[in-house]
Amino acid sequence: MAFAPTDETITIDQLTRDPYAVYRRLRAEAPVVTVRSIGRTLLTKAADTRAVKDNPALFSSNDPNTPMQRAFQAHTLMRKDGEDHMRERMAMTPTFSPANLKTLWIPAYEKLAGEYLDRLPRNETVDLFPALAGPLAARILAIILGIPGATDEEMQYWSQALIDGAGNFGYADEPFARVDACHAAMNAMVEARVPLLKAEPDQSALSVMINAADPIPFSQVLANLKIAIGGGINEPRDSLLTVLYGLLTNPDQLDEIKRTGNWSGAFEEGLRWVAPIQASSRCANEDTEIRGVDIRKGEIIMTVQASANHDEELFEDGHLYNALRPKTSHQSFGSGPHHCMGTHLARATIGKIILPMIFERFPDMQLVEPEKVVWWGFGFRGPLSLPVRLN
Amino acid sequence: MPKITFVSPDDGRTTVEAAGGDSVMQAALANGIEGIVAECGGAMMCATCHCYVDEDWLSRTGAASDEERAMLDFAASEVRPSSRLSCQIAITEELDGLTVHLPEAQI
Repeated sequence: MAFAPTDETITIDQLTRDPYAVYRRLRAEAPVVTVRSIGRTLLTKAADTRAVKDNPALFSSNDPNTPMQRAFQAHTLMRKDGEDHMRERMAMTPTFSPANLKTLWIPAYEKLAGEYLDRLPRNETVDLFPALAGPLAARILAIILGIPGATDEEMQYWSQALIDGAGNFGYADEPFARVDACHAAMNAMVEARVPLLKAEPDQSALSVMINAADPIPFSQVLANLKIAIGGGINEPRDSLLTVLYGLLTNPDQLDEIKRTGNWSGAFEEGLRWVAPIQASSRCANEDTEIRGVDIRKGEIIMTVQASANHDEELFEDGHLYNALRPKTSHQSFGSGPHHCMGTHLARATIGKIILPMIFERFPDMQLVEPEKVVWWGFGFRGPLSLPVRLN
Repeated sequence: MPKITFVSPDDGRTTVEAAGGDSVMQAALANGIEGIVAECGGAMMCATCHCYVDEDWLSRTGAASDEERAMLDFAASEVRPSSRLSCQIAITEELDGLTVHLPEAQI
């Protein structure tokens, strides 16, 4: 056998602007390929990305050569395996229990969604990215994490700083300086809440973690909260905007979804079409092989779930949004032990609450110049704006 | 090796051989059974490997734990007394011949 071929041509800029064209070619020509500009071996077929994620014993989540640890000022659960990962993950899971979702977070979201929709101006162009999708995601997250005093603006600013820091592969100074300042603010916010939540525990993530019988170290409590802040805003925000774009540019599909009420199907299709998290890293623990290609111990693999979700073996015309697609099994929530903790929350809030609510309020909502919407991102991806006119 | 039969909602039956120690979910994935999605790969964090244990086998598979039953609240299809997450059913020789029914949808 042979090692993966190396592609010298693909640039990070290409993968940021129009990754799907690159992935389509790779799926056909080189589904296991080392991309020089990324410094990693990309997997673009659904069977391969899934197999790697479902085999954490062979493929570690610890990609040691990333700026993430520097950006987060911590070694976080995202990069841990086995029991170390599970202990830190389980510290937070009670917050996300089905009972808490049903009795606390979903009702809270429903109320917030109504309030945020009430604020939207009618009969003028409004960008739903800053006016709805970003702040609503920030607000529910602040409540669930146990830091309701953090403003929508703070939450979004911190989140972007963490993302920019974790993606700062050039190790430039500015992103690290910005995220360091955010750490100071986040730590102060969290530390101020600790005595209050010790005195009056609730089901928020911070409370559950610090009041556990056998709590994880406080450094990891902070790290867990920051992982949630770093990943818990852009994903619901981008997926909501993506689904809205898909439905508004396909009015026949929108009519049919209104008729059937299958908003969950429309949501899943949006997640499939443009995965908010496009790619993840894994490190081979041993020499192995994937699709007949030798992988060396220590080689960093990128599972490109964005590409898996367009795999011709599973999806016809995968590059098109089609809310009426019969089957939308996608890998956007990941798989294996790192499967997204917010999955059920996202499905319940976006798939079942905000989508029907927004079209009930604004049945004739129109996209303004959809051709001007810019899609952006390699690791994380979504539209940079969604200007609409509400009636 | 124990045999497990999966029955799809349209009554299509597929029988597979399963390795002892695997879960019913793993046997389904290993044999390409449509209808078991298993997003989280067996960590009991999703509800996308939902199945209905055939009545004749309920006493042998045992009941769902409290955590499993709570997670079943997220199942996309109707939850019945026979509902289980197939990742939580470990295959033993005693379960040779087990029949499980697949729900209409997992997501």
